[in-house]
Amino acid sequence: MSKMPASKQQTVDLSSLSIQNLSSVKKQLDEELEHLTASFQKLRTAQAKFRECVKAIQNGVNPEVEGKTILIPLTQSLYVPGKLEDTNTVLVDVGTGYYVEKTTTKAIEFYNEKTKTVGSNLDDLEKIITQKTQNAKVVEDVLRQKVLAANSTSSTS
Amino acid sequence: MATVQQLSDEFADIQKKLQDVIEARQRLDAQYSENKAVQKEFATLDADANIYKLIGPTLIKQDKDEATMNVNKRLDFIEKEIKRIEGQIKDFSETSEKKKAEIMQIQMEQQGQAQPT
Repeated sequence: MSKMPASKQQTVDLSSLSIQNLSSVKKQLDEELEHLTASFQKLRTAQAKFRECVKAIQNGVNPEVEGKTILIPLTQSLYVPGKLEDTNTVLVDVGTGYYVEKTTTKAIEFYNEKTKTVGSNLDDLEKIITQKTQNAKVVEDVLRQKVLAANSTSSTS
Repeated sequence: MATVQQLSDEFADIQKKLQDVIEARQRLDAQYSENKAVQKEFATLDADANIYKLIGPTLIKQDKDEATMNVNKRLDFIEKEIKRIEGQIKDFSETSEKKKAEIMQIQMEQQGQAQPT
């Protein structure tokens, strides 16, 4: 689950750090940001999938389809005709290889709940990402100033 | 005394190991939260709910108690694994820090020797 960033716990004066230290801090922040944005994307896709499941149940599994012939995808491009035996219950993948039989209403509830949880995780993550981006920017600014200062007073020591 | 080359090889090796255990830790974290979610889901189910377990390509019907027990057992195991991996991470970071200090030390000495020219 999402963790709060470890920074901000102790305050370090950035201007007291050396160029080397600063650039490693910057690098670390960049790596964290990359990781977080990747997670953000993955959560987005997961959320979209849950929403799709809800839609699939609403459109595909209801009493209206009872008795009607539907096409069942065996692969992405191969379909066979079939009929739904039972339009009341569906099997839901709850994770780690377990499937639970649920009524369509319960299943929709389940997916909506999932969408909501993922949504709140997304919100948290977004906050962390903005915070981190800001941190990275500040570090970059200080780093640039340091480099400039070092260049203008070069050939010391 | 070890050369800088040897030390930095060792350092890189430790860094690699550290990276590996950190990845393992992240995988465990993911498994832990997935199992937690399943546990939560099971808790809300009726006692006579139909639960199936995917074994290979087949779904096998399973008792709710059995399934719940199974998930609890897995959670226990993952918790223990996380503790074990945590220890490894700590060990590796410590040795890595030590190696880094050693390298710095030698580099400083060499610079000190190279300076008077």
